[in-house]
Amino acid sequence: MTEEWRLLLTGANTAAKNMAIDRAVLTTNSQGKVLPTVRFYEWAPSAISIGYFQSLSDEVDLKMCKKFGVDYVRRITGGGAVFHDDELTYSIVIPEDHNEIPKNIIDSYRRICGAIIKGLKNLKIGCEYKPINDIITNGKKISGNAQTRKQKTVLQHGTIIMDVDVEKMFSLLKVPNEKIRDKMISDVKQRVTSVKNCLGKNVSFNKVADAMKNGFEEEFNIKLLTGTLTEEEIKLTEKFEKECFGSKEWNYKR
Amino acid sequence: MNSKSIYKIPNGKLLKISLDYNKNTNYINNIRITGDFFVHPEEAIELIEEELINVKLDKIKLFETIQSVIDENNIELIGLDVEGLTNGILMCLK
Repeated sequence: MTEEWRLLLTGANTAAKNMAIDRAVLTTNSQGKVLPTVRFYEWAPSAISIGYFQSLSDEVDLKMCKKFGVDYVRRITGGGAVFHDDELTYSIVIPEDHNEIPKNIIDSYRRICGAIIKGLKNLKIGCEYKPINDIITNGKKISGNAQTRKQKTVLQHGTIIMDVDVEKMFSLLKVPNEKIRDKMISDVKQRVTSVKNCLGKNVSFNKVADAMKNGFEEEFNIKLLTGTLTEEEIKLTEKFEKECFGSKEWNYKR
Repeated sequence: MNSKSIYKIPNGKLLKISLDYNKNTNYINNIRITGDFFVHPEEAIELIEEELINVKLDKIKLFETIQSVIDENNIELIGLDVEGLTNGILMCLK
């Protein structure tokens, strides 16, 4: 019988709430209270997330964020700063000892990215996994991913870039040296692409989400059943949002 | 004295070190290791930082200190390695 996992479509939320939901699902899944869960989501307002090990003030121009109404948050996962604008963000939460999840971290990135690659293939975009944590098409990045393992549970979240505004992104991120800002912008334009760039047209969030749902089902040979957050997850989300991801202490931790 | 370095780990991620050290003795007073790498578990980075306090800025001393924290605590570095971390710290020496 085909294994069933939960699919959450939580729409667009603030940066703190988005990270709090991922943390809440990690908690309930680690306690065996919910099925392995795949979530698709967006960010409103647009936001920058930084990796756990990054310094917010080193990476992000907070004055420009304020000016443009862009939100920010520190993730519980490592990796780099991401400007979440026109994209589909996914997360997957699954026990570390699930037979579909390799023990080795890089192998598990490859496996989970396999679902995203199949999803993009469903949109007629051929791509491949590029270690450590990217998916590339024709040499350009279309998806970035980050994983943590806590309480014997894997959380991986990542982006599928639907459209990209490199100038805006760089107006919000700090660069080591202002003199090289233009060079960095042109470098990133060479190295990053989007669903829109690949297909030459806009594709709706729902269409990308459908393709990704099928990608996960194909990669893991499972059925995704649309569900909702449990009462406990809603309460945990509020708690993590207030005590962690919405707090200065957390966001300025490093 | 305070010093900073930015070092791209070969085949890895970007490492940024912020270091406070005693200019006379070359011992570390405080260190902050940041960047877009991965450490599992994440909280272990703080342990590495703590263990580096009062360690001399010497290649072998740094390497051994970091390696022993990693071995004792089952820490996994991704996009970062002990040699890269050691090099990044030493680049702060002026």
